[in-house]
Amino acid sequence: MALTGRAGLLAALGALVVLVAPAPPVAVLGLALLLAVLVAVDLLLAGGVRGLRLHRDGERLVRLGESVTVGLVVENPGRRRVKGVVRDAWPPSAGAAPCHLKLDVPAGQRRRLVTTLTPTRRGDREAVTVTVRSVGPLGLAARQGSHLVPWSVRVLPPFLSRKHLPGKLARLRELDGRHPALVRGQGTEFDSLREYVVGDDVRSIDWRATARRSDVVVRTWRPERDRRVLIVLDTGRTSAGRVGVAPHPGQPSGWPRLDWSMDAALLLAALAARAGDRVDFLAHDRTVRAWLSGASRSDLLSSLVNAMAPIEAELVEADAPGMVSAVLARAKRRCLVVLLTDLNAAAMEEGLLPVLPRLSSRHTVLVAAVADPRVADMASGRGTAELVYDAAAAERLRGERRWITARLRGQGVEVVDAPPEELAPALADAYLALKAAGRL
Amino acid sequence: MSAATPPTSVSTSPTAGSVWRGGRGVLAIALLVLVTAVVPVLLSSPGTGDRPLDPADSSLQGGKALAQLLRRHGVSVERVESVSAMAASAGPDSQLLIGDTVALSADDARVIAAAGGDRLIAGPQTHLDILAKGVLTGKDVRSRSREPGCALPEATRAGSAFVGGVSFVAPAGAAGCYPAAGRPTLVRHTVDGATVTVIGDSAFMTNMRLAEDGNAALALNLTGAKPRLIWLTAPEKPVTGVTGTGEGKTLGELIPDAVPWAMLQLAVAVAVVAVWRGRRLGPVVAERLPVVVRASETVEGRGRLYRARRARDRAAQALRAAAIDRMAPRLGLPPTAAPEEIVAAATVRTGREAPEVRSALYGPAPADDGALVALAGQLDTLERQVRDS
Repeated sequence: MALTGRAGLLAALGALVVLVAPAPPVAVLGLALLLAVLVAVDLLLAGGVRGLRLHRDGERLVRLGESVTVGLVVENPGRRRVKGVVRDAWPPSAGAAPCHLKLDVPAGQRRRLVTTLTPTRRGDREAVTVTVRSVGPLGLAARQGSHLVPWSVRVLPPFLSRKHLPGKLARLRELDGRHPALVRGQGTEFDSLREYVVGDDVRSIDWRATARRSDVVVRTWRPERDRRVLIVLDTGRTSAGRVGVAPHPGQPSGWPRLDWSMDAALLLAALAARAGDRVDFLAHDRTVRAWLSGASRSDLLSSLVNAMAPIEAELVEADAPGMVSAVLARAKRRCLVVLLTDLNAAAMEEGLLPVLPRLSSRHTVLVAAVADPRVADMASGRGTAELVYDAAAAERLRGERRWITARLRGQGVEVVDAPPEELAPALADAYLALKAAGRL
Repeated sequence: MSAATPPTSVSTSPTAGSVWRGGRGVLAIALLVLVTAVVPVLLSSPGTGDRPLDPADSSLQGGKALAQLLRRHGVSVERVESVSAMAASAGPDSQLLIGDTVALSADDARVIAAAGGDRLIAGPQTHLDILAKGVLTGKDVRSRSREPGCALPEATRAGSAFVGGVSFVAPAGAAGCYPAAGRPTLVRHTVDGATVTVIGDSAFMTNMRLAEDGNAALALNLTGAKPRLIWLTAPEKPVTGVTGTGEGKTLGELIPDAVPWAMLQLAVAVAVVAVWRGRRLGPVVAERLPVVVRASETVEGRGRLYRARRARDRAAQALRAAAIDRMAPRLGLPPTAAPEEIVAAATVRTGREAPEVRSALYGPAPADDGALVALAGQLDTLERQVRDS
């Protein structure tokens, strides 16, 4: 039950009646009784909300930063018209609008209401409750009730770095195009035989084939295909730190490292899928948070964003030995392990470095980390003592990162350390470089 | 309706029955509290309220106990609320009791003095010079149990009693009892043929004190001296004078009677509006939010720690190490190069003096913050020279 502003107005106007009434106490009592009777009558005549049947339709997936509409169909099987307002409650970060919807359903009919969701962060958003307030014909009182109408919308990572994809694919084709003879590195794959033309590397002449035919024949090579790329996402505490500027409003202190890492992982996955490699995905902190394997090349990206969407940074120290074991258990054949984590000297030295040889002895390892542009800003601070102290602290952190990078490189691990917006292209470049060198 | 959606929604609102089942316990307790609060108030006698020394008041400050005792002893107690009524019923067989709760004007005091009959003035009064000619007010003294200390039979028969309040200066020939600091707090003397008794404190006559000490005896002895006791109590409304015409109406009296009721109606309206605005459309939605912590907070915290501890040595060390790390590759040296090699290479490259370069890169820790800022500047200059040359 709920009252309306009209009931309050009626009670306030009653004060004027009391002023001119011959017997004010009786008038007050009478007005109170009148109001109570009118409210009771209105409540009785209002359409029932308990019997309403509601269900939803609409979208279930949305990219972060885009809007999506969800329909709510209200069916009124009762004998009275249901007129009033509806609140379709969603969590605040689902960005539901409008928050109140007008409703007018005659008896036995149905109406469709539309709520627009503009989520402000990644993950699954569940609808909470639908509350209907049905106002009586006098407009003095209303019946109110809530219904559970389950629906969930999955907010996918936005894949901002897809703008870099055409450029990287062009470089990949370049790599493909300069296939014959010029690149004869270790690990490149035999493609076909063709006639020798002037300028070909004499070392690529296939003498056996030449002997069979009367012409000089060379082998051609192409970049290796069907290699495996395993993207490992560290979802531990260091991935929760926010860096850079969030691409969508509503997150003033930046975007978590995790989201930047996902963005880079998506570009790498898209590129690797086009290059003919198989991409697997593992998210790990103390346990396996997500595992995606064997996705076909056409639906790799959609499977990947689906697997990534519900992952949140956990406030626990990542278990590096457990992560290495999980990788080794899943990657039977040699593959490129791309580890998206943070170059935190203390955490790395105790966690990853001792167990890294187990991983790098069997796989090619690439560590990618998001650098904090704020630290670079601080490091260039000069002029006052405060700024110089901050600069010293920033330099110390950068020194630690340089040191850990040198340690990792010393163990034969590739390291990509780039600011948030540049991480995805830098990681793609590192992948292309490895591919060109035939190190996959 | 897609296959994934359930055919009907589930209503989560409580039914009338469940509201009743859930709320009846609370309702019962609230009712119980209300009843236990209201019943004693209703059962207690409809006393005149907070009116001290009133023969009809049964509260602790009232005088109902004394009035009942007097009636049992055959003394008729007449309760009057105005000085004029008191003067009208005064006679030779009556005694006037004037408590300290009645504010009397000088005219009132003269009317009482002229009415004749014995007078008992309990508690401090302003117009004592008219009511009890000759008695002067002395100092304030504490009320406590005191001995009679005089020959007055009413006092000696009662023994000790709870008196005090104000001491008096008795005129010649008057009886003074219950002395406090050498001055009596009860004085009896005769003025114009009437026996006038003045006592400094009326508390011993109240319901609270009557049962203590010899209070009851003293009170009965003093008030029961005549067959009729005319008891002046504070009137319902303050009387401005014996001939009060009430020309100055208060603001409350000028407001029409309907206005307070209209205010009540407005209060009802405010309550209705409060219910209207207070009813939320559905529950508050809680959401588990991710932590919001800037990754740079640890660095900022370290910077503040450096600043708070004035850790110039560590700050300088960090700045120098960073500068050397960046310069060494440009100078064609490995990161592990010895200090002398770096100084020598930088000297050659920039053309600056070796001691100057050495003090910038490997000098002692800066002595103060100014020196630290200067060092940062020197390192920047050196780095730029190495880079540009």
